[in-house]
Amino acid sequence: MINLLTGIDSTAAALNAERIRMDVVSQNIANVNTTRGLDGKPYQRQQVIFDTVLRAQQAGNSAAQSVQIARIEADHRAPKMIYSPGHRDANPQGMVAMPNINIHEEMVDMIASSRTFEANLAVVKNARAMAMQTLSIGKR
Amino acid sequence: MKMMVGQGAGVQLPTRIDTDAVPKISLPELSSLKSLDTVAGGGGGSFQNLLGDLVKDVSRKQAVAGETVNGLLSGKNVSLHQAMISMEEASVSFQLMVEVRNKLLESYQELMRMQI
Repeated sequence: MINLLTGIDSTAAALNAERIRMDVVSQNIANVNTTRGLDGKPYQRQQVIFDTVLRAQQAGNSAAQSVQIARIEADHRAPKMIYSPGHRDANPQGMVAMPNINIHEEMVDMIASSRTFEANLAVVKNARAMAMQTLSIGKR
Repeated sequence: MKMMVGQGAGVQLPTRIDTDAVPKISLPELSSLKSLDTVAGGGGGSFQNLLGDLVKDVSRKQAVAGETVNGLLSGKNVSLHQAMISMEEASVSFQLMVEVRNKLLESYQELMRMQI
């Protein structure tokens, strides 16, 4: 197929990756008070790890470097301990292990993620504008 | 696009003229044009095929865009940006096709206006 918007594949992959990152951030924010996760322990903060993939382009061009989510892994910082003796998950000392999530950190992550998304959208827009302007060479 | 029409005619020329009767034209441009045409045409070779491929390509892109939008609207695992990008690709390639058609028509009309 003709490839008019070159390099758009990498951008599409980056948009996808950022969207997944945003999903993970929203999951972290949603679980900020979850004291009992699936494994019975308090929820652990999740973070995404990006890595580069080579995306084969059309013959003759070098392979474009694109991005993908390598894995989503848990943040192994210690849980925050708060004193709440009446809590169901309190230990004998009355301390409850809360998720190791710092809401400010998550907000910053969210801002960074949405800005990166925006930047990639700008690339798409620019590629389209360039293609349309190039087509206007023929106009009189 | 005028160039391309000329290119098509230039390639047709040797097949029509008896090569034994006429001394061989050895214009370097002609051979380069011929090689251009065979590259552009892929298998078929003619400019007509090239245009046909372009139209088919545009139609395929439109079909892909339709599919992704359908997937998005029916809740399949298609993201919004994928649908938008495929729609943009379809739109840009359609614009390209329209430009090619305009240029072709323009050069045809130019030829028709020519004083003989």
